[in-house]
Amino acid sequence: MRPKYFPFMLGLLVALALTLVTTPTPGLAQATKTDRLVFASAGFSESNRFWTVSRPDHLQYDPFLETLLEVDPKSGEYTPRLAEKWYPSADFKEWTFILRKGVPFHFGFGQFTARDVVHSHSMMMRPEATATLAGFWRQVEEVKAVNDHQVVFRFKQPTTVMDYGASRAGDLRIVSKAQWDKEGIDGFDKRPAGTGSYRYAGRQSGLSVSFERIDNHWRGEKPAFRQLEFRLVREESTRLAMLLSGEAHIADLPRELQKDALKRGMKIYSSSFPVDWMTIYLGGMYFMPGDPAFKAEVPWTNKKVRQAMNMAVNRKELLNTVFAGKGTYTYVTGWLPQSEGWNPEWQRRFDGMYGYNPAKAKELLKEAGYGPGQLKMKILAFTEPGESEGPQVAEALGIYYKDVGIETEIEVLDWAKVREMFRKKTIGCCIWPNIISWRPSEESIRTFNYSKGPNHHYENEFIDKTYLAWAQAIKPEERQRHARAIADHLFEEFADIPLFWFANEVVANPKVVGDWVYPGLGAGRSTHFHLVKPPAK
Amino acid sequence: MQRYIARRALQSLLAIWVVTLVVFSLARISGNPLDVMLPLEAGPEEYERVSKYWGLDQPLHTQYFIFLSKAVRGDFGNSWKWHGESAMGLVGQRLPATLQLAGFALAISLVIALPIGVLAAVMKGTGWDTAAKIIALLGQSLPPFWLGIVLMWIFAVHLGWFPTSGRGGIQHMILPAITLGWFQVAVVMRLLRSSMLDVLDSEFVKLTRIKGLAEWKVVWKHCLRNASIAPLTVFAIIAGGLMTGAVVTESVFSWPGTGQLVVDAVRARDFQVVQAVVIVFAGIFIFTNLVVDILYAYLDPRIRYQ
Amino acid sequence: MATETIRTLPWYAPPRVAQAMGQVSRYPLVPLAMLMFLLVIPAVFAPLVAPYDPLKGSLANRLKPPVWQQGGSIDYPLGTDKLGRDMLSRVIYGARVSLAVSLAAIVVGGVLGTVLGLMSGYFGGRVDAVLMRLVDISLSFPTILVALVLVAAVGPSFGTVITVVVVFLWARYARLVRGETLSIKERDFIARARVAGASHIRIMARYIFPNVVNSLVVLATLQVGYVILLESTLSFLGAGLPRPTPAWGLMIADGRELIVTAWWVSMLPGLAIMLTVLSLNLLGDWLRDHLDPKLRNV
Repeated sequence: MRPKYFPFMLGLLVALALTLVTTPTPGLAQATKTDRLVFASAGFSESNRFWTVSRPDHLQYDPFLETLLEVDPKSGEYTPRLAEKWYPSADFKEWTFILRKGVPFHFGFGQFTARDVVHSHSMMMRPEATATLAGFWRQVEEVKAVNDHQVVFRFKQPTTVMDYGASRAGDLRIVSKAQWDKEGIDGFDKRPAGTGSYRYAGRQSGLSVSFERIDNHWRGEKPAFRQLEFRLVREESTRLAMLLSGEAHIADLPRELQKDALKRGMKIYSSSFPVDWMTIYLGGMYFMPGDPAFKAEVPWTNKKVRQAMNMAVNRKELLNTVFAGKGTYTYVTGWLPQSEGWNPEWQRRFDGMYGYNPAKAKELLKEAGYGPGQLKMKILAFTEPGESEGPQVAEALGIYYKDVGIETEIEVLDWAKVREMFRKKTIGCCIWPNIISWRPSEESIRTFNYSKGPNHHYENEFIDKTYLAWAQAIKPEERQRHARAIADHLFEEFADIPLFWFANEVVANPKVVGDWVYPGLGAGRSTHFHLVKPPAK
Repeated sequence: MQRYIARRALQSLLAIWVVTLVVFSLARISGNPLDVMLPLEAGPEEYERVSKYWGLDQPLHTQYFIFLSKAVRGDFGNSWKWHGESAMGLVGQRLPATLQLAGFALAISLVIALPIGVLAAVMKGTGWDTAAKIIALLGQSLPPFWLGIVLMWIFAVHLGWFPTSGRGGIQHMILPAITLGWFQVAVVMRLLRSSMLDVLDSEFVKLTRIKGLAEWKVVWKHCLRNASIAPLTVFAIIAGGLMTGAVVTESVFSWPGTGQLVVDAVRARDFQVVQAVVIVFAGIFIFTNLVVDILYAYLDPRIRYQ
Repeated sequence: MATETIRTLPWYAPPRVAQAMGQVSRYPLVPLAMLMFLLVIPAVFAPLVAPYDPLKGSLANRLKPPVWQQGGSIDYPLGTDKLGRDMLSRVIYGARVSLAVSLAAIVVGGVLGTVLGLMSGYFGGRVDAVLMRLVDISLSFPTILVALVLVAAVGPSFGTVITVVVVFLWARYARLVRGETLSIKERDFIARARVAGASHIRIMARYIFPNVVNSLVVLATLQVGYVILLESTLSFLGAGLPRPTPAWGLMIADGRELIVTAWWVSMLPGLAIMLTVLSLNLLGDWLRDHLDPKLRNV
């Protein structure tokens, strides 16, 4: 053999050796298709420390860590789960939960008691807690275990959203104090014990998290699939490929690819309720008196301009093209028919006030003093994994606005930058489409429209006053009154450009999945995997 | 020789230090990780609290000093996104996957390049030579992510020969390795071809054979020494190319390696992990270069005295 | 070979490019033709050649297939993309963008690298040591990672992409030029020039540089293709040119989820990249074989 090849043969040998030496033990044994259900997700923050993980990524806890209250898959109502009964005190500062008896923890860590609730809450008090409702949980002054099966939460301020927080839509996962005492955080990281009908089976970093069914669930829940696996697959076309090749049975697919999956015989499972809304937010809407961040030069501080910006958008076409027709119209950002303060009048009046009418839009702009080409604006776009429509909507907006004489420039930033801008009120230059996941409308106002809230999307005195009244109101009629006042106000004032509500849609292989009902409002969007049933024989 | 090694080693350390400085600054410029870490509900108190917890409220130079003093001990801090894992621990978890993929890709590129290179050299100047050249260059002309997706669709979905993604056994590695290694085929092929041509032409070798000198002596003492220099450099370059090419390939095939890790970390502004990955990669590269340079100096004395 | 040329000819050796140009029959016709057709002509004459504005589209016309497929029409010969923009026009303008990015990056990186390489090789000593360490550091940076972090910091833009590519490229030029400078500076004619009183700058510019040009040309040609690929990879990862620039890489990245339903959205720019880079590589190979065989192992 020619000497010059020695380096190459050596290289080849080294490469092959490296390969063989580092070949891992193959992943958890591939059971037959019907035994192990594989869900290809867009990815989530991998950690067992639920108090550091935000709501959508609680997908990874849904099968094995339960919450005090359940979200009914069909009606969306909060129903008993680990708590049988719950009620607030008269001033809504204290919430009492009567706990269920006879709930065993996984891995033999004893029975569920009030102490576990106290312990689980204490996780939210840790300094690294960054869960979605961590701020809310830290408003709790004291959690007292009155007895083994009764626990009371005392808040600093009255709160009306405790049921939301304690439900499957919130993030207070109940974990075992006994495990914590015995194994510490290391044991918890390795193998957290919960009370769900699946229990934690293991993780492969960067690849998947797996669960296995238990036989003695306290409610008698028996999932149809013995094993469950969530795969992290960042690339959308890879998820589609996995679904079609049979490696995954359910996949989270963007709308474009759903069409293709359907063509090949797959089926869509939609959540019972819409879970996300998309709205185009307007920067600079700081109408609190004396707010230095308010700049009158921002064109859309003029209501006529805002209305024009709404009427220039062809929502029907946008929905059919970018979103494949899947969505329902939003009349007021954040409001669903079941939300407090919903006004059926909006639907009737929407077309006249917000509907597609480029001629009227041009007229309004002229009235506001902007001839064709005189109004310039920046549209900020960003993508998040699983939400790639932002830039598309931005580009479509650019096209619609060009038609009515508005000049636009699209700037693609990353999400964090945009967020920093609206947090610090420096986003007066721009408008931006954003997809936000459902939260109760009271929370929505607090987060986005309350001047003392974090995000400052559209704020003024009226909203502040009314919100405070709403948050302190106890009687349902009073609450409805305040809620509707705010919502109507937002509707009349064209606070932003509301677009659509979307349900959570996943695609499944009908040969493996026959039925599945889930609300979508659960933290994690795709939830209630124990309800996935194989096709009827 | 000792002095040369000492000098080069010192320079390498300096290089690594500069890398830490640059990565640290770049990562910090990229913005506030809290905007990614914290939910929309988080108000100023939450920002303050978490900022303090992660030491982000300190002035930059303090943060750098703390970072450096821990880094020299191999502690790159805890990940901000993968709660509970240390940054170095994560790199340690994922690096074998990337090395494995890179190794396999290298093997595949050698396997493809060997026959093409030999053919091109033996049939020099003919249509075969040009055809071989074009095939090799084709590899360098295709965007790797595009190639990956196309391969996945043809072989994993339509033909069903291989799984589409993930890591498990040899069959999971083939498509990603081809995607990753294809790019290097041209480089390796070119090298093989020129080496082969030199060998075929070598007067020296012919002469020594005529003289009857023991072939192995000739080969070992003379040819191999001279021959090893070029492939060594190329090796280092290829290794570097494979490591960075892995980023894209791992994304497409969901291969749980450091490439996938760093893309996720950058998106999540998890500086700790980004720093760890970049410094480890740079460290490997600088170290490889150091070794190559030392081998050079050993094989070619002239270099030592520059 | 190149070394003998320098010894026998007077101090100034006309770049081999000029010599090679004189021999028409040795032109690599096929790669050159492909290049002209795919890259140069569309790039330069884009506004005249492209049928539509690449930035304007109508959602009603989105995802129309190319003319030869069912549903396609001659109005949009290569189909339309997600937002109804004509693919043919976008691919043509894409050539312009690719060429602009590569030329800008290569010129900046090349000039920077050449100047530093000349200085490093000529002056030697401390200067050389420092510059070579810089080269090492720059080469040891994982380009893609730097790009990702940089884009996260300042947002995607033309400038960001060029910066990243320049940081990646300059070191290669520097290393190459330094190597050549080292061997050239020992030659007699350089010594003669020094004795005659020529300044350092004059020597570097008039005597050394012209002999380095050959290798530079070869490297540059080979690099254009690589830069185009690099830009497309960066766009794929979201760290490339900003929307809605009609850049080939960005188009592939956008169309990648449609690879099954609307293959033309990503396949066509991919094909364009492939053919362009291929012809550049062939051209570069030819240049290398004819100008400077020493570079065989670069």
